[in-house]
Amino acid sequence: MKKILLTLLLASPLICAEQDNLDMHDHSHEGHLHDTMVDGKNLNVDPDRFDKFMEELTDVKIAIVSVKGMVCDFCARGIEKTFLKDKSVKKIDVDLANGKVIIAYLKSKNINSDEIEKKILSNGQNMSDLQVLEV
Amino acid sequence: MGIYKIIIFSLVFLINIDARPISYSGGTTIMYKSDSMSNSFYAHYSPTYKYSIGIENVDDKFFNESYNYLRLTYLLNRKNTNISQRNLYFQSGISVNNTNNIFYGIHGDWETRRWFTGFGYKYVENSFGRDFKDRFIQLGVAPYLGEYGDLHTWVMLKSKTNSLTNNRSTYPELKFFKGNTLLEFGYSDKTEWDLHFMYRF
Repeated sequence: MKKILLTLLLASPLICAEQDNLDMHDHSHEGHLHDTMVDGKNLNVDPDRFDKFMEELTDVKIAIVSVKGMVCDFCARGIEKTFLKDKSVKKIDVDLANGKVIIAYLKSKNINSDEIEKKILSNGQNMSDLQVLEV
Repeated sequence: MGIYKIIIFSLVFLINIDARPISYSGGTTIMYKSDSMSNSFYAHYSPTYKYSIGIENVDDKFFNESYNYLRLTYLLNRKNTNISQRNLYFQSGISVNNTNNIFYGIHGDWETRRWFTGFGYKYVENSFGRDFKDRFIQLGVAPYLGEYGDLHTWVMLKSKTNSLTNNRSTYPELKFFKGNTLLEFGYSDKTEWDLHFMYRF
């Protein structure tokens, strides 16, 4: 009986993993700056860190993503790897202390909140806010 | 204190844990573990962040046998907040050499950048007629908060019991990780040397 249970348990994630994949994000879209241009004064990011990130970057769109659950370096590795697979991503910075991920996209990129949210979720974390800035 | 004394001092207070038993979607992990009970090599793949499947080769020192487990770890529950993450995992394995050898259990953790707590329970059935339980609890603190890409260190206290040997041991431990690599090793007078190496790609 235990073997049968183990076999079922081994098989069950293969069946239900995809539908479960979006179950666990708990952030609300209300009140967030999704796909919104901001003036720079209200950026929710460390200004020094942001300035350093922007060095030598021109003609880009910047996405500043607030992430829940990004508590360790090891947890954040997948976020960096996932976004760098996107050829429109020129640079990425992970700010563990503030739970932020800053992504520089090609200016031609149409930044999509749902796309970013799914990439964060594929790493097991949740996006709680997104700000977009065109430079 | 010289560097060798620091290293030896650190080695004395270390032990292994299963850190992040599931990777990010599409991630592959290889692990090597060695302690007084067994040596094992384990490779797993995570199709999604919710589960991993893999195979583990175990060189069992207690029963003087070698076997392979087909393993599954499933994320039962995760809670992400701005400052913490909490996880509850189901883990299981069945031997491909002898299907009477199985194990199953749960383990969980809660951590912030500074604090860590974890527990685990594992029940092992085998063809040797000596089923046993492994249990542990764990507390940890990060002595400093590194930036992304830095060398990260955890100082921990772990207590574990094994019903097969009736050993209960409680002792400090350290964990280091940098980039895709994690290394843990330690020593206890009851369980002797432990080593855990993990690489994720």
